[in-house]
Amino acid sequence: MSTETTWEGFTPDITPGHEPFWASVREHRIALQRCDRCGTFRFIPSPLCPRCWSQEATWTPVSGRGEVYTYTVVHRAPTPAYQAMAPYVIAHVTLEEGPRMISQLVDVPPEEVRIGLPVELTYRDVSPELSLYFFTPRRP
Amino acid sequence: MAALQDAAIAGVAMSQQGDLSDRTQASVYWECVLAALDDAGLTLADVDGWIGPAPEGPGLRGTLPGGAIADDIGHPLRFHATSAIGASSQSAGVGLAAMAIAHGMAEVVVIPTASAGRAAGYAGSDRAAAVEYMARLGSPYEYLWGTTRVADYAVLARRHMHLYGTTEEQLAEIAVAERYGATLNPLAVMGPRGEITIDDVMSSRMMADPLKLLDCCIINQGGGCIVMARTSRVEELGRHRPVVLLGWGEGHGYLDPNRAPELTSFAGRLAADTAFGLAGVRRDEIDVAGVSDHFTINVLIELEDAGFCEKGEGGAFVEGQALRIGGRLPTNTDGGFLSSSHAASCGLYTMIELVRQLRHEAGPRQVADAQLAYAHGVGGVSHTQYAAVLARA
Repeated sequence: MSTETTWEGFTPDITPGHEPFWASVREHRIALQRCDRCGTFRFIPSPLCPRCWSQEATWTPVSGRGEVYTYTVVHRAPTPAYQAMAPYVIAHVTLEEGPRMISQLVDVPPEEVRIGLPVELTYRDVSPELSLYFFTPRRP
Repeated sequence: MAALQDAAIAGVAMSQQGDLSDRTQASVYWECVLAALDDAGLTLADVDGWIGPAPEGPGLRGTLPGGAIADDIGHPLRFHATSAIGASSQSAGVGLAAMAIAHGMAEVVVIPTASAGRAAGYAGSDRAAAVEYMARLGSPYEYLWGTTRVADYAVLARRHMHLYGTTEEQLAEIAVAERYGATLNPLAVMGPRGEITIDDVMSSRMMADPLKLLDCCIINQGGGCIVMARTSRVEELGRHRPVVLLGWGEGHGYLDPNRAPELTSFAGRLAADTAFGLAGVRRDEIDVAGVSDHFTINVLIELEDAGFCEKGEGGAFVEGQALRIGGRLPTNTDGGFLSSSHAASCGLYTMIELVRQLRHEAGPRQVADAQLAYAHGVGGVSHTQYAAVLARA
């Protein structure tokens, strides 16, 4: 599911080696590096498996499902764009594949967020070139 | 064999803390350097080592600070080093300086810090500009979502509360204890505002749930300096009791919060175990502590990681004003970053306060008969840390 939306917040500085991740976001199907030797998924993108130190990895789509590891509700936001969004939830989510991933948790009242809440990825196209990923409560 | 205790802190000084936007950074920097040398009974003629940045100025001064400092003081240095532990970089320089002095690479090492003027970025006096600058310090996998430094620590607090039942009131205890010290410290920015209560913290404005305004450090300017020399020289100078390092340790662990194995314990444990191991000192022998307190939750996590209590027991440990002067483990007795000063490489003030305590020169803040102190500094969101056991020699 995706929505066309405007985004006044920051846009990502995409550095070398990180392009495949953002391309997968654009396709609404996030792929993470999975180590070719030991099979461990990792995030954020990096050139070395931190578990077995192999440089070989394959960008592999993930389920997008996970649960909230921790979160905060931001009231004092950094810039006018984020101040217009506040209060908003920043959630750290443990994905089914293992890595944690940070994003805003949307479509839920902040007071209903709790650690352990099942969530899933959702996407928004914010420009012709850029999509962003968010978490939303998982539907039963 | 060279030992850490062969080097000692000889002099300390701090400038006024607060809004120094009408002064240049260099003027505050040199004021602190000259005052710390004077405190030690030394002059710039004695100095052959330096830690960290040169005063601000044009050209390559930021890239080649050793050369810039030689320009300023009129003679070359034998030793220069830079630590990279964020706000604790200069205080971590105390360890580098001790190693250099103990091994004969330098005789007298200066460790200054200062912020002043109307600089851009986080060091400036424009609050909105500083907050925006800080908001983009992390990777896009953080800043896209509207993170702030408060939010970065709030998620640690939320996880700690979930795992261990830590309460917001327990975090507030830390802010209350430190404010009391600030009221006894003429340099503390928040001292004149008077003491605060747990209710004051709890009812202050929500910043990033569960952290409230009074859980957060202040934003201000100021400077300070530490001068180190051979311990025998400090004894000969006779100005103050030497303060020596018995143990030193560092812990560099994890930058991106997406990657840290957990968010309630960091490499501070590695730093503390190394420092206490080298010192041969037990945790319960420490009389006074100074730990980075950008937010109340830092103090709790650092005291746990340092081994003053078990992981998860920090909330109970700080209850009943245990960190207040006169409490079980007086901590950040000057008021800390929360209530005294959070200017420039502010971890240096943590160390300066411990020096004053161990010299028995802390005035109304003095912890009775303080002999051993513990310093713990973090950079970033607890990404990288140092630990030190200090002694009155």
